[in-house]
Amino acid sequence: MTRYVMVADLRRCVGCQTCTAACKEGNGTPPGVQWRRVLDLETGTYPAVNRVFVPVGCQHCANPPCMEVCPTTATRQRTDGIVTIDYDLCIGCSYCIMACPYDARSLIDQTGYAFGDTPTTAEAARTGRETAGVATKCSFCVGRIDAGLARGLVPGLDPDATPLCVNSCISGALSFGDIEDPASPVNRLLAENQSFRMHESEGTEPGFHYIWDKGTL
Amino acid sequence: MSVTDAGSVREIPSFCYNCVAGPDLMTVRVVNGVATRIDPCHAAAAIHPGLGKICVKAFGLVQKTYNPHRVLTPMKRTNPNKGRDQDPGFVPISWDEALDTIAGRLNDIRARGLLDEAGLPRVAATFGHGGTPQSYMGTFPAFLSAWGQIDYSFGSGQGVKCVHSEHLYGEFWHRGFTVCADTVHTRYIISCGNNAEVSGGVCAVRRHADARIRGVKRVQIEPHLSPTGACSAEWVPIRPKTDPAFLLALVHTILFEHERSALDLPFLRDRSAAPYLVADDGYYMRDPASGKPLMWDEASGAPVPFDTPGVQPALEGRFIVADAMTRGPDDEIRPQRSAPARTAFTAMADNVRLYTPEWAAEICDIPAETIRHIASEFLENACIGETIEIDGEMLPFRPVAITLGKTVNNGWGAYECCWARTMLATLVGALEVPGGTLGTTVRLNRPHENRLLSVKPGEDGFMVSNFNATGSNSWLSKPSGRNAHRTLVPIVGNSPWAQALGPTHLAWMFSQDAPKEWPKPPLPEIWFAFRTNPGISFWDTAKLSRAMARMPFIVAFAYTFDETNHMADILLPDATDLESTQLIRVGGTKFVEQHWDHIGVALRAPAVEPRGEARDFTWISTELARRAGLLERYNAALNKGAAGTPLNGDGYDFSLATDQVHDVDTIWNAVCQASTVALGGTGEVKDLDWFKQHGHYVVPFKREDWYLYPTMKRLGLRFELPYQERLLRVGEELGRRLHEQNIHWWDSQLDEYVALPQWHDVPERWVQSIRDTGGDPADYPLWGITTKVMPYTTGNNAGIPLMNEVSENLRGHGAVVINAATAAKLGIANGDWVEVRSPIGATAGHAAVVQGCRPDTIVIPGQFDHWKTPFAKDLAFPSLNTVVPLSLALTDATGSGADVVRVAVRKIDRPVRAGAA
Amino acid sequence: MTPSMTSRHQRNWDLRAAGNFIGGGTGSGLFVTAALAAAAGAPFRLALAIGLACVIAGLSLVWLEIGKPWRALNVFFHPHTSWMTREAIVAGILVPAGLIGAVAGSTAVTAVAAVLACGFLYCQALMLRAARGIPAWRQQEIVPLILSTGLAEGSGFYLLVGAQTSNWLVFALFAGLLREVAWLAYRAGLGRTPAAARSVAVFGTPPARFVRAAQLAGLVLIALALAAAVLAAPPAVILALAGAGGALAALAGWGLKVMLITRAAFTRALAIPVIPIRGRSTHARQS
Repeated sequence: MTRYVMVADLRRCVGCQTCTAACKEGNGTPPGVQWRRVLDLETGTYPAVNRVFVPVGCQHCANPPCMEVCPTTATRQRTDGIVTIDYDLCIGCSYCIMACPYDARSLIDQTGYAFGDTPTTAEAARTGRETAGVATKCSFCVGRIDAGLARGLVPGLDPDATPLCVNSCISGALSFGDIEDPASPVNRLLAENQSFRMHESEGTEPGFHYIWDKGTL
Repeated sequence: MSVTDAGSVREIPSFCYNCVAGPDLMTVRVVNGVATRIDPCHAAAAIHPGLGKICVKAFGLVQKTYNPHRVLTPMKRTNPNKGRDQDPGFVPISWDEALDTIAGRLNDIRARGLLDEAGLPRVAATFGHGGTPQSYMGTFPAFLSAWGQIDYSFGSGQGVKCVHSEHLYGEFWHRGFTVCADTVHTRYIISCGNNAEVSGGVCAVRRHADARIRGVKRVQIEPHLSPTGACSAEWVPIRPKTDPAFLLALVHTILFEHERSALDLPFLRDRSAAPYLVADDGYYMRDPASGKPLMWDEASGAPVPFDTPGVQPALEGRFIVADAMTRGPDDEIRPQRSAPARTAFTAMADNVRLYTPEWAAEICDIPAETIRHIASEFLENACIGETIEIDGEMLPFRPVAITLGKTVNNGWGAYECCWARTMLATLVGALEVPGGTLGTTVRLNRPHENRLLSVKPGEDGFMVSNFNATGSNSWLSKPSGRNAHRTLVPIVGNSPWAQALGPTHLAWMFSQDAPKEWPKPPLPEIWFAFRTNPGISFWDTAKLSRAMARMPFIVAFAYTFDETNHMADILLPDATDLESTQLIRVGGTKFVEQHWDHIGVALRAPAVEPRGEARDFTWISTELARRAGLLERYNAALNKGAAGTPLNGDGYDFSLATDQVHDVDTIWNAVCQASTVALGGTGEVKDLDWFKQHGHYVVPFKREDWYLYPTMKRLGLRFELPYQERLLRVGEELGRRLHEQNIHWWDSQLDEYVALPQWHDVPERWVQSIRDTGGDPADYPLWGITTKVMPYTTGNNAGIPLMNEVSENLRGHGAVVINAATAAKLGIANGDWVEVRSPIGATAGHAAVVQGCRPDTIVIPGQFDHWKTPFAKDLAFPSLNTVVPLSLALTDATGSGADVVRVAVRKIDRPVRAGAA
Repeated sequence: MTPSMTSRHQRNWDLRAAGNFIGGGTGSGLFVTAALAAAAGAPFRLALAIGLACVIAGLSLVWLEIGKPWRALNVFFHPHTSWMTREAIVAGILVPAGLIGAVAGSTAVTAVAAVLACGFLYCQALMLRAARGIPAWRQQEIVPLILSTGLAEGSGFYLLVGAQTSNWLVFALFAGLLREVAWLAYRAGLGRTPAAARSVAVFGTPPARFVRAAQLAGLVLIALALAAAVLAAPPAVILALAGAGGALAALAGWGLKVMLITRAAFTRALAIPVIPIRGRSTHARQS
């Protein structure tokens, strides 16, 4: 079996938002829609303050609450763990948005453009389909993964088979790969370091792991 | 949109050098002739320290290219009146009309002479951040060279927004125009406000992230918790502008609370001037016969010249020297007979004796124990005596470093900080060795591309340094540029970069109010501006805009309308990042944490056709040269290397015929071929077509060449520390020269020329400036400082929506960052509109209430307050630049000031437009 | 981490979505009340018809809200786990049943419709309960709150359009008290849920206090109406008290749902349980 997961090393992330920008440009998401973003969190009271940068987005849960509530079956889970949305089935009820504990989904009524109502030449040149009115979210760049696999590439290792955010990450915070593959870098990272998953108590079993220190518990 | 590319897809190699922390190699994805995406250059993963990744700014280049607000035809002004309140009345014109208009003025000037009646260049030029515009101006440097004298003194932030004191003193002491930690080897970093995680670029971010995983400890000393502070092991919130006290206290603690064995004594003895004897008059005791500085030889119990073979110099002590002399200012020889002397080391210790941690604690608002534990950890991690093998050579391994941030490094107090930082490194032998504090490049010395070769033996066992003359006959009493850099700032020298590093705000200030001793400098007759927007990026932007409006003829290379080209007479649309051709140098060591194991060149080729009538800068430069009758000199300049590499050299000749007009590709083809040959390597010649396919060409670069120490050792040279005899002498001479001219308005700057930096109440200068302007300091109770977020770090990104959108994920973007307790006292809640006011004006923005900021400090990130730049002007973001004064009193001896101002903050009901006083 | 830093107000479901919960609650409550009325021989057809209209109106509002209304039938595709699909399926039976009950005046069909209405309202309650991204809805006490509120709204509304005799006043009072208990339980549960802190704050704002006051006032008026009826006060007095109390019972429910769906619905805060270790000294002392 294969399960693709994302690993974010919080020791490395500097909150630069390069992944956010790479995702937006690569996936052509409209203004205000961010499938990948980095939170800027602060805790404590002056002067004992911590500030932490946390990449977030769809956690591609093993038990996705979004899929459970979706009335149309537009949200599905592939055998490799990637949670997808069928834009042709989705009715845009937004229920999945309410069900996601990770605030990872978006729905806009009308497509906007970077500079207003008119698309730029680059925006117009994108031969994509309209996603206004349906739910969208990070797909782990599933199209890149499938295209890469078809060429015999390894997701997480070969850039052409790897999500754009991972490719772009300048600090090396983001890693991607098959957690079921004992030889994968994500497996090694998780084995050698202490990590957690967000909102574990929800039982969602997210496919997004956060490393916070070396060693194992 | 869900994107699937269809049709013709090409991937074009290119680079992004929008900030000085680059260049980043990248790939442009082009679908049916339209750029749709930027990707990292994965092919460069093996040779690039950041694994071929690109910073967030590069991802804005697609929007930048297709920005509907671009200026896409040449334009001319139809309203002769200039000012913020004037509509320029720009109308499109042809390239011929634009270029002929400019050439006509150039030809007229040439006929009358390049210098005006005041001896100042009639043509001026200003380029933006850190020399990066040069990487986008094609062959314009060849045009400028062909023209002759040009005034570069009108700054857009140069000298006050860079790391100015580091530039000057860093290069002076260790050829470190920019300085960083040897991050890949270091174990402990004291970072005073250095914001590597934001402004260090891809290489710095990756290196520091790797270092964190490896286990480096970085202590961040800064008034607010930046991303770099966030990613550090410890944050020490220091009171603004008190860093000199903190660093001097570290020197004190190391010298007075630790054993001498904790220091690198051999390094101090052999590679520094610590053993040199200093006389009571403040100058080195010198050998009467040779004039060489003396050391006390413990073997013979007598003073001997510093380079005496077999000498066993005393590092510390006080001695009586029987027969010596000192050399004071203006070569005054002062005999010293049976005179007391102490070593420079002892003089240094005497100087810092009172700077205890308890003393600094009061000034810096840092617990004394914190200072002590930082000093202890610094020493514990210094690995005195250890070595490391680099490229087969055994070098000292001293994995401790000290880095300085922008406001620490600019203006008053910066000299003290630079000295203390470099001295701390010297004490443990961690200067220019693996793991230590390193310079990355030179700009005041040549050659720029190899700082090691710039090291040449000079006087007294030190490197040669090219100061501007201060002798009675050699001092330039009449400024040669409008900022008087050669007259007022000896250390800046007179290299091509020197003028732009002078006090660049003085050019703006003197254009309005010249000192009475000097005639008011006439304005330049033509001012070229490219990738620069002083209208928002300098200080007191309202006043500066009024000065700009007085420029008689401005040629602005224009991307969109902005606050500076609003005053222009001609707008020229240059083909921008994804549309133009240029080959630049990459690798080796340079600027911000660019330590590569390779060196080479990279091509920016047009990924897409230029939009509208935008033209390649090389074409524009060639046409200007041709129309101004400078073609031969222009081509000759290209042949000499104005495009990066001489077109002829040992065993190769790709020279261009000087009497012909060459097209863009012909020129860059020659540069490509010459550059690859000049790099050596396999000896293959790579032409433009090859580069268009492959993007970059590199050859190995020795890691040993990251460090200056081996060169210094080979040449038997010493770092000019701790004692600053040369600066003392130069300062005294400069003072004499100025006073001979009855100039006294530079006297407080002269106070900075001391042999050993001492604390003076640095923050008080800003408080005093309030009184000087008739204000009451009590009315301005807070410190206002600035910081950055990566999407806007030094890049011209204010008009790009993507940068704003992703920056909104970061706290404080476009806002006024304020401590929660302070905000509560002022009745300010997160998101409230607040006004930040100084005596010169006010700026307004939303409050970002945080814990990670000192209660006495507010922070306004970035440089905004736009009123013309499309998109940016609608953001209504605040800017510290609006409220920071242009002030002579706040200008230090190097001609620098700092982004600091005393402010009042209050809640307001609605935004008040920027600049409203 | 401070939850408020990453918790945001949900903006995807607006008044139209609230309208579905209002229509569903009042409608279902009316169905149940009408069925009881039918069994007791009281007037019920008008109440049933209004209940039906409420349900249809609510569903129509949702239809207006979804991004792709012409694909609305896709809502039936996922009965396995989706309470929204189940709600739609139940609605598909409930509406004709209600229609038949109202038109034919059939007590039996009305009873069946009331059972379906209970199912419909249960689906709505479970829809909210399954929304794991909104702590205020995720609260388990949301289910009795939605059910009891529907009953209180319906029984209150019945006082306006049906009978105002003691039996119905007792029933409305009972439903109101039930809702009171459910509300207190919900509110207490919310208070115990740190993730719902911002929602708790919203329930302390003036609009929420107003809704709460209306709810209590409705209860008091119904109780007074009951007292008036027991004491054989003039019918006009009983009618006025019962009508006002019933209206307030319904309106307070509507207000509560507007608050719950559009004002108090904050997303679950993104938070991390530990601070990452970003560098520590490797050489000598560890700190």
